[in-house]
This record gives sequence, structure tokens and C-alpha cells, in this order.
Amino acid sequence: MYKLLVNSPLSGEFVAVLPEVEAMIAVLYFGLFAMSFDFISGYTGYLSFGHAAFYGTGAYLTVLVANGKLAVTLPVVGTVLGSQTSFMVLLLLAGLFAALLALVIGSVSFRLSGVYFAMITLGFSQVLYVFVRDWDFVSSAPRDGVAVTGRTSGFQIGVPFVDQLNLAVGVLAGDEVALLGEAITFSTTDVSYYMIGVVVLVSYFVMQRLVHSPFGRVMIAIRENEERARAIGYDTYRYKLGAFAISGFFGGVAGALFAAFRRSVTPENGFYFLVAGDALLASIIGGFGTLVGPLYGRLFDETVREFLSKSGSGGGLLPWLRATVPEGVLQMDLVGGVTVAEAIDTFLNGHAELYVGIMFVLFVLYVPNGLLGTLRDRAGGTLATAGIPALRRWFR
Amino acid sequence: MTPLTLAPLLLDAVGEFLRPSTLAGIALEGLSLAALYVMITAGLTLIFGLMGVLNFAHGALTMIGAYLGGLVTVLLVGTGAGDPLRFAAFFLAVLVTFGALAALGGAMEVSLIRPIYDRPPLYQILLTFGVTLILEELARIVLLFYGIQPISDWQEALSTRPAVLGESLALGSVSVDGLALFEILFGVLTVAGVWAFLTRTRYGLYVRAGSEDGEMLSALGVNVRRVFTVVFALGTGLAGVAGVLLAWDANWAASVPLAAETLLPAFVVVIVGGLGTFRGTVVAALLVGLTDATMTWWFQNHVAFTGLPEITVFLVLVVMLIVRPQGLFGVSEVGGH
Repeated sequence: MYKLLVNSPLSGEFVAVLPEVEAMIAVLYFGLFAMSFDFISGYTGYLSFGHAAFYGTGAYLTVLVANGKLAVTLPVVGTVLGSQTSFMVLLLLAGLFAALLALVIGSVSFRLSGVYFAMITLGFSQVLYVFVRDWDFVSSAPRDGVAVTGRTSGFQIGVPFVDQLNLAVGVLAGDEVALLGEAITFSTTDVSYYMIGVVVLVSYFVMQRLVHSPFGRVMIAIRENEERARAIGYDTYRYKLGAFAISGFFGGVAGALFAAFRRSVTPENGFYFLVAGDALLASIIGGFGTLVGPLYGRLFDETVREFLSKSGSGGGLLPWLRATVPEGVLQMDLVGGVTVAEAIDTFLNGHAELYVGIMFVLFVLYVPNGLLGTLRDRAGGTLATAGIPALRRWFR
Repeated sequence: MTPLTLAPLLLDAVGEFLRPSTLAGIALEGLSLAALYVMITAGLTLIFGLMGVLNFAHGALTMIGAYLGGLVTVLLVGTGAGDPLRFAAFFLAVLVTFGALAALGGAMEVSLIRPIYDRPPLYQILLTFGVTLILEELARIVLLFYGIQPISDWQEALSTRPAVLGESLALGSVSVDGLALFEILFGVLTVAGVWAFLTRTRYGLYVRAGSEDGEMLSALGVNVRRVFTVVFALGTGLAGVAGVLLAWDANWAASVPLAAETLLPAFVVVIVGGLGTFRGTVVAALLVGLTDATMTWWFQNHVAFTGLPEITVFLVLVVMLIVRPQGLFGVSEVGGH
């Protein structure tokens, strides 16, 4: 589809607007992380500002095990955990480990509420961030992060121990697949895209199932009025803790996917509190308290970033303007000897945060329900149940 | 290392720690840190105390204050300038920065925060978080444009520091960094200033009354909206002044990451002290500053792990929240959340 549009007559414009497959993969795994954030913050109303702790834990666990730093060998069974452990097992392990961490953090943090809860979770994640940044067990230069060195093949997603059903993901070390006798070829990034997509989809369905279960109803009851939920007999502390652990689980899975695809992780993109900030951004833009919203939010976010500040190959406004705007205009003086070309460069080269920030503020002020939340309000229910009849009425 | 060889080492370390000169040195170091913490937290706590708004943009405002103050001193101070001129430039920078950031803060309150007072407090955190992103990126753009290094310390602003602040002065048997003394002095002056504002002026009365019961205050005929704007402006102005002070300290210095570096300890101090109480903030800053200095001494001299002093600051927070969730002087559930 991407290739089709890119090769169309309007190719320049499409290259400028559409995100690349690499960006879409980032949307998927980060969208899963944003979803896990929304699962706790959007549904129980407790702002987990230190959610990066779980993402980072999943990512670091994956890389450390793959490098053989965390090896467990049992006398009878043999190697249980080592550099060649199946990635599916690792995904589960990353999730479980993060869930365990969530139980520890949550058991302290849920004694508080509101602003205090946000701050203490932030505190915990920051402790982990500083710890990982200075822990020389991780690598010889922990500040620069750690890359996968102990495993040359890609991380395989599929059914463990059944070779045909496993496909590896990774920027450089994935699989290539030819279907229908070379008619359709998927490159390594395409394969990664679909395989990561499968994990994200399954995770989404699990979380969605939970949200619509009685458990999820209690979470919403806590968000709406915690005292009343407690008064009618729910042990809200346990429900909150449970929801936090589940959220941590999927946060860890997202982190493991991220590390498997990127094959490296640094303290800055794993544990730093702005990672949780990005999830917050995605949730608000997509719709707080709509589980799938954060994925769309991240897509929107990523598209804007790509479009407004991409200097490289993936297109965007800057290369497009450089190619399209006539030379005479580019050399024109603006204020104080600054040419148009310089102004464009200054404002469009790598400063996506500015536009994302402005957009975020505008969303908080004017679209508090986010993209999906607003659409649902308009449609009067989820788009699947209310949207289709509405569309039918529209076309009748 | 076996426990038998470890024990005498530990005893030595404790003996060295308990020596009066070491303790005094650590105390002064801790006091100067506490002064910095008070400076970067005062504005935050004023704003939260009255309005219940946790200003996430506070760190970014401090960072902008550091650059603005640095700019004023760099413009005024040449290479051959003497210390009196440098100090004069500093205080002028403080005035300019306070004015500029107070204006910015006032504008921010009126245009962005006023429309969402009736929403849950979560949205104010979100909004100010967005403002942080914008301010940081704008700072990056401007700095890159003028060829100033945004990520690492701005050396030119650091070099305008008076020579006397770079020397160690001897106070009895203890040698003290001149800068530390200056920071302590400045911190004490600021605390006195804010305290006088809160207890000796009419506006301070409104602020104290407003943090108790805003509705009652407006029923008594005070324009609470204007009080909010003024307090927000004051708070952001104080953030800027803190930045000017930090621009001379090589441990902090003007750089874009300063925003996050100051925001996190500021949160710790505010929460340990009890959100929104100025007295609590001062005590908590002392507590955190002294803990930080002590731990830094221990981990620099006897335990090899560079990140631990930073972690201990957060451990103080975690312990405090477990023992006394509302903070030292806080009332639980400030402002209904």
C-alpha cells in the first residue's frame, strides 16, 4: 500500500506525509506501552507517571538475557534461561518481571492518591533510572546503554520450538519471507511489522477483554468515585494493585518488543520519565480511557513528528519544501538578514517536540477526550457498535 | 572482602566522618544545597499552596531563567571586569529575570490555566507538562540559532562568576567554598523575603486565606482570580531567580537538561515538606540537602557507586511517603486531591 502510494503521480507529497514502515513499527510497540499506561491511568484515574519503569525493565531484561548476563541453569532440566532462550518465553518473562515490580511499587504507592500517587511513581522510576545508568553489571559503559551482542540471529516471534511458525524481528537481523512463489516479498522490516503487530493485537484483545469484564467495571467505578466503590464492598486497594500489575505486565511486553526490534536500549529511551511522558501524550491525543485510543494517538503523534521534523529519507515537510519552493523565495530576506531557507531549517529540522507540545496543549484545552473519545461521544458508543449504523444512516 | 577486614575499615570511615571538620564541611555543603533546593522549590510551593496547581513547567522556567540571567551577566561583564561589577550584574540579572518570567507566568495563567480550573487537577498537570515540552524546544531552537550549546553547560555564563566565589575561604579549621556561602546567603534572603511577603503584606494575607478557603475569600470581596494570577507570576518569577543563581554553579549551570534536573528534586522537596506549605518546604529542603551532602561524602569516599546520592534523595521521598504520606507539615488531601 505504502509502495503503491509512493509510486503514484503525487509521490513527492505522499513521501512527505506518510510515515515509513520503521515508524509504524515504533507506533506498534510504543502504542502497546501507551495502552498499558492508559489501562491503569485512563481506567482507574491514577496517573502513573513512572510507567517507564516497566517498559525499561522489559527492555533491559530482554537485552541482558540475550547477552547471557542473566543465565539460569538447573541441574536436571538444563539451561532454563540463557542467551538462546526463545523470545516468546522472554516476552512472558519480561511481562511477569514487570508485573512483579508493579506489585512492589504499587503496594507502597496505592496508599496515596492524586498528585501524590503521580509523584511517588515518578520517584520510583527515577530511582531505577539512576540505578541502571550507573550499574556497571549492565555493560562497561552503562550510561550509553547496552546493545545485543550475545545473539546474532533475530528474536523470533511465534510458537516456541516449532520452526515454521517462527519469524524473527529486528532492524538488521530479521527474516525475509516470499509468498506465492516470489509474487509477494516481505523485507525484514515488513516481517517485523507484522510479527510485532500480532503480539500487540493479542495484548490488546487481552486488555480489552479485561476492561469489559466485571474487573474492568470496578476499575471504572474507582475512577468515578472510589469512596462509593469501597462503600459497596469492593476492596479497592486490591483491585488497583491488580490493575497496576496487569498494566505493568503489558508495559514490560512492550519494552521487550522494543528492545528486540532495536537490538539495544539506553537508560534514556528505556527508563527516563519522559518515556512515560510520551505515553501520556499518546493517551491524551488518542483518548484517555479508551483502550485503543493511545495507539491512534501514537500514530498521530508519530505522523506529526515525521511530517514536521524529518530531515532524512522518510520524507516530511522540510525536504518537500526544499525541493518545491523556488530558489528565489528561499534566498529572500525575512527579519534581520535571516533568509527563508534558514528560517525553515531552524524551525523544521528535528524540533518535533515543539509542535507535539503545542498540539498536546491544544488537545488538553479543547479536545479533552482525545481523538477516539470525541468520536465515540459523537457516535454515542464505541465505533464498532454505534458507528456502523450511523454510517448506514449517512449513506441512505 | 571478609567481614573481619571490613569492620576496621568501616570504623575508620565512621571516625573520619565524625571528625568536627568533616561534619562542619558536610553541614555547610548541605546548607548550600538546601539553599538551592529552597530557591527552586519556593515558587512551586506558593503556586500549589494557593491554587492547587502542580506546575510541571517549573523546571523549564528555571532553565529559561538561567539562560536569561546568564545573558544579562554575559552582556554586562567583560573579561577584565572586577568582582563588584560582576556582583552588580548578577543582581541586575536577578531583577530582569524575575520581571520577565513573572510576566511570562502571568500570561500563562491567564491564557492557559484559567480556562481549566474547573477540571480535575490531573488536567493542570497535563497542561503544564505540555508547556514544558514547548518551552524546552523553543529554548533549543533559539540557542542553536545563536550558536550557544543547549545540551552541555554554557561556559560563558559560568565564567562571569566573581573570582572570590571560586576560592575556598578558611572559616576556622574548615575551608568553605565561596560559592556555597553566597548560595546560603542568597537562599536565606529569599526565604526571608517570601516569608515577609506571606505574613507582612496584604497580598500575603490573601494568599494564606485563599489556601485555606478560596470561596470564602471571594465571598469577602477579594478578586481571587487576580490573586491567582499574581501568585502564579510570583512563583514563576522565583523559578527564574533560582535559575540565575544556578547559572554560576558548575554543578548545575545553564543548559536545557537543567529543566528536568531541577524539577525532580523540587518535587521531592515539595512532597517531603507537605505540598503547599512554605514552612514545610524550608524544613524539607534542609533535610534533603543535608542528607544529600552526607550521602555524597560517604559515596565519594567509601562506597563506589556514583549514582547513589541521587537515589538517596528519592529514597528520602519514598520513606517519607510511607511514614507520613501528607509530608512533614502537610495536611492530608490538600485542596481536595
